[in-house]
Amino acid sequence: MFEAFAAATIAMATPILLAALGELLVERAGVINIGIEGAMLAGAFAAIAVAHATGGALAGVAAAIGAGAAINAIFAFVAVNLAVNQVVAGTAIDLLATGLTGVLYQRLFGATGRAFTVTPMRSIELGPLVRLPVIGRALFDQSALVYLALALVPAIAWIIGRSRFGLRLRAAGERPEAADALGLGVYRLRWIALLASGVLSGLGGAYLTLAYADTFVEGISAGRGYVALAVVIVGRWNAWGVAAASLMFGGAIALQFVLQATAATIPYQLFLALPYLLTVAVLALAGGQADAPSALGEPYVRP
Amino acid sequence: MLEARAISRRFGRTLALDRVDFHARPGEIHALIGENGAGKSTLVGIIAGRLAADSGAVLLDGAALRSGASAAALRRARIAAVYQSPMLFERMTWEENLALGGFDAGAAPRELDAVAARARQIAAASGFDLPPPRAIVADRSVAERVRLAIVRALSFEPRVLILDEPTSLLAPAELKIFLAALGRLRAAGRIVVLVTHKLAEARAVADRITVMRRGRVVAELRAADTGEAELARLMIGALPMALARRPPPEPDPAAAPALTLAALTLVREGRRVLDEISLTVRPGEIVGLAGVDGNGQAELVEAIAGAVKLDAGSIAPAPGGAAVAVIPQHRDRDGLVLELPLWENLMLAAPLRARFAPRGLIGCGAARRFCADLLDRFAIRAAAGPACAAGALSGGNRQRLSVARALAGAPRAIVAHDICRGLDLGAAAQVHRGLAEFAAGGGAVLLISTDLDELLECCGRLLVMVRGRVHETADRDPERLGLLMAGAAE
Amino acid sequence: MRRLLAAALRPAGAIGCALGVVAIALALLGASPVAVAADLADGAFGNWIAFTDTLARATPLVFCGLAVAIAFHGALWNIGADGQLIVGALAAGAIGPALGGWPHTLAIAAIIGAGGLAGAIWGGLAGWLRARRNVNEVISTIMLNFIAAQLLSWAVHGPLMEPSGAFPASRKIAAAARLQLYFPPSRVNLAMLFALALAAVCEFGLFRTAPGFELRALGRNRRASAFFGVPIARLTAGAMALSGMLAGFGGAVQISAITHRLYETISPGWGYEAIAVALVARLSPLGIVPAALLFGALDNGSQAMQRADGISPQLVYVIQALVIIALLAFDASAAGGWREAFGAGAPAEPNAGAEGGDV
Repeated sequence: MFEAFAAATIAMATPILLAALGELLVERAGVINIGIEGAMLAGAFAAIAVAHATGGALAGVAAAIGAGAAINAIFAFVAVNLAVNQVVAGTAIDLLATGLTGVLYQRLFGATGRAFTVTPMRSIELGPLVRLPVIGRALFDQSALVYLALALVPAIAWIIGRSRFGLRLRAAGERPEAADALGLGVYRLRWIALLASGVLSGLGGAYLTLAYADTFVEGISAGRGYVALAVVIVGRWNAWGVAAASLMFGGAIALQFVLQATAATIPYQLFLALPYLLTVAVLALAGGQADAPSALGEPYVRP
Repeated sequence: MLEARAISRRFGRTLALDRVDFHARPGEIHALIGENGAGKSTLVGIIAGRLAADSGAVLLDGAALRSGASAAALRRARIAAVYQSPMLFERMTWEENLALGGFDAGAAPRELDAVAARARQIAAASGFDLPPPRAIVADRSVAERVRLAIVRALSFEPRVLILDEPTSLLAPAELKIFLAALGRLRAAGRIVVLVTHKLAEARAVADRITVMRRGRVVAELRAADTGEAELARLMIGALPMALARRPPPEPDPAAAPALTLAALTLVREGRRVLDEISLTVRPGEIVGLAGVDGNGQAELVEAIAGAVKLDAGSIAPAPGGAAVAVIPQHRDRDGLVLELPLWENLMLAAPLRARFAPRGLIGCGAARRFCADLLDRFAIRAAAGPACAAGALSGGNRQRLSVARALAGAPRAIVAHDICRGLDLGAAAQVHRGLAEFAAGGGAVLLISTDLDELLECCGRLLVMVRGRVHETADRDPERLGLLMAGAAE
Repeated sequence: MRRLLAAALRPAGAIGCALGVVAIALALLGASPVAVAADLADGAFGNWIAFTDTLARATPLVFCGLAVAIAFHGALWNIGADGQLIVGALAAGAIGPALGGWPHTLAIAAIIGAGGLAGAIWGGLAGWLRARRNVNEVISTIMLNFIAAQLLSWAVHGPLMEPSGAFPASRKIAAAARLQLYFPPSRVNLAMLFALALAAVCEFGLFRTAPGFELRALGRNRRASAFFGVPIARLTAGAMALSGMLAGFGGAVQISAITHRLYETISPGWGYEAIAVALVARLSPLGIVPAALLFGALDNGSQAMQRADGISPQLVYVIQALVIIALLAFDASAAGGWREAFGAGAPAEPNAGAEGGDV
């Protein structure tokens, strides 16, 4: 049972982690992107639609990357170049993705919403590591996207903390006018972060349809993008913290699979609501935004 | 040779620069002087590539720098600038701040160590000290930040170094070291442009002086050939007549204090920003609080306004009431709501809100009429009258609105922080007259400023604020007061 | 009147742009934009029933639009009107069946009051978290939306489920608690007047009362508000509670006048749509009414559109999103944002007082 729980935790944490790592880059550059939910949804749909049409999961993943990046490009133009309110712009992006995927889904796969499935991404066993107790299957018999997500944690920690690009990114998020005065190109940095985030959110969406559900239903992202936003806050704008918070939320979602079977008297809705309840509770306890980038969410207009 | 040719730049309806020509030669310190709002900062912003010009060209050694060229391109052309409030990243270490400059490094420990080593060379050549390794900028003093900003600018090995009023943040003792360092830069063949509105400073350190007034260059002079009187005349145009000094108002010794602070203490991130501050202001007096920016004045004003929660101490009368009016330092950031009309901005003040919204319902007509009357009385020029958005006013008019609002609430005491920043002399005199009349009528004023001249002219008693503490002083000698401000007397 | 027209110009342009983009997209998908538009218009206004259905669909949008507008005026980004509407409906659906013996007026007051109270608690919780724990209200309200949806799901599958247990829906509310329909089978009811009255009350409250003024000042300059003793924490919690109450009314009215019982899908996303409504109305409470009518018509027409053209009614989401984006872009362009975006420099006023703003 623990083994199943561990595997489910990793499976549930992966899409959140992918999206949250992208959002981490974006927020360190000073932008808050509520539209991340939309980018995930678009990625999820594009992945399965293209995988269905071509029969190849890889093509689906590529499409998800493209869709996520495209959605974020729209957001980047509106929120960065036009310097409008980021929360409102992000909400519009979510609506756009919900609507687009809904319309296209019906158009391509019929008004009845006939469920369609694809050959899922195979999981890749990492040799003898799989035989480790409890965590063996959970960590080392997973799809490539899981390994990618886990590998990205130290990579993004390094990028933000140590690299030249990361230093510039932080500068853009701390004091954009000063960063621009030094010629660092705030708009460019924010665009790069948003495109990278689009790619990661798209991958998170692809994981949902290609590696986890093997099908698409409307609204399949189910608020995971929003949870990713909370994960960044709970993780204190730090890649390792984000990884830990993602696992916590993954565990909260995974709990329903384990407990629902054993504790039938508890309404299943409680389990479904658990990640959201947990988000509110953790934010209330973790409280403030003292570690947030100073310029987070403030539209920046070049002088 | 640095040249600016026929530069114009418009902000909304204001023509900030009107076909300005400017020249500075290698191996010279060139002072650019003018009153606040004369266009100095806009001009250097354009030269440094931070702002785009509407027309005109900037040339370095005869080669044109494209108007609106990216800052990166200008950096290649080697023009570096240090701005009025040093553009540092407060929550990063100083090494990271420098790595973002001309050292162009990442943030790995090895890289930061290399940055620090090279920075120490530059700093040593200029006679500067640098903070200890991995110190966070936010924890350093204002003078250290200015030095960091200058070292970062020098890290680009610039041909042209622009210093935009960096000295306004420095105490006199620090200023001397700083001006000496400028001399060394000149000796190294660089073009140094020093923006300032302090005439003595310009005369003391510069070789040549360009004077600006209302968006135009009115003179270019050799520093040796001119005097402060001539510079002042050029800067201001005609000297305002109404500047006759009046004796500072005397308090009524029998009256109870209008404002009493007792052992105010405020701790932020482990530092005592306000450290057991006690002071009283009695009816009829103007008390001056001198100090270099960043020694706790802003927090003190916030505390008196009731905008922060104190760790210890008490304020009488209690904050938030009608008895004390506060005029904050940053009027746009802290004092006005630029999108709202003038009459609503007046209602931001608690006593006026209470007056025009008794029982919570706003009497619009009365509030508008009151506002129109106030605009009239304080000569605030607003095209659309009370319905005009505060953001549509010019800086001077916004400041007068701030002061008028404080006076209109009929408080017992006014706490005014840096109220003449950005005002020309005439407007400043008007503001001072308003305060003097208020004191003459029995009001109490606490005037907080970095400008000693202003305080010496307006105030009776003088206090000095250093690192969150307040000392009273009977000394009125600017030199010794300057030392006190720098904390040398401790 | 001229000012009114000028204020409506940009929203109208934004809606025009959004519809234009959608028309092109439809053509690309192989549908005829003209036919779709005709079906949509017919579904929204084609006959008396269609028209009154549009009014019925617009009513909850007025409530939620007011909720969003009030919060946005205070720079409180309440994305949670949907959850607040749901808990309002939930409270109404929960007490509705028990109001059997009550006098009609009292029962109506009770059911709507219960909805408002539940919404106020839901919104006020986010406000309190923001004011006291500094929790970002965007995230907390979104999370509370999901929690409300699960709460509703649990209620209609569990304690409130109708006796036969066949459908995930609650028992019908008592007749005394039902708002009368005036011209059956049309759904014209008193709630529409209630919505209009609330819009007027909100307009008055925002622009003619001290707390309304303080909220607007807080939303535009938080620091200045703190300096001048505006009670920020109280306003934040209060405005969010008020915002939640308005949305909660919307949920209760929906139960009382239209559905008479709870369903899992009681809200098709009105709380999100309300953001578009509020922005199109320029956050003006009175402007919410025509904006809600417009979006109500789109919603209503989209049903007919689906029947006739096989286009998913989710197309309406695309239209909402494009309207918001176009409106944001237009506003940015009016503020000089477009010039800025393409590097021509912004005509902003020099700002000597602001930090670093030493232009």
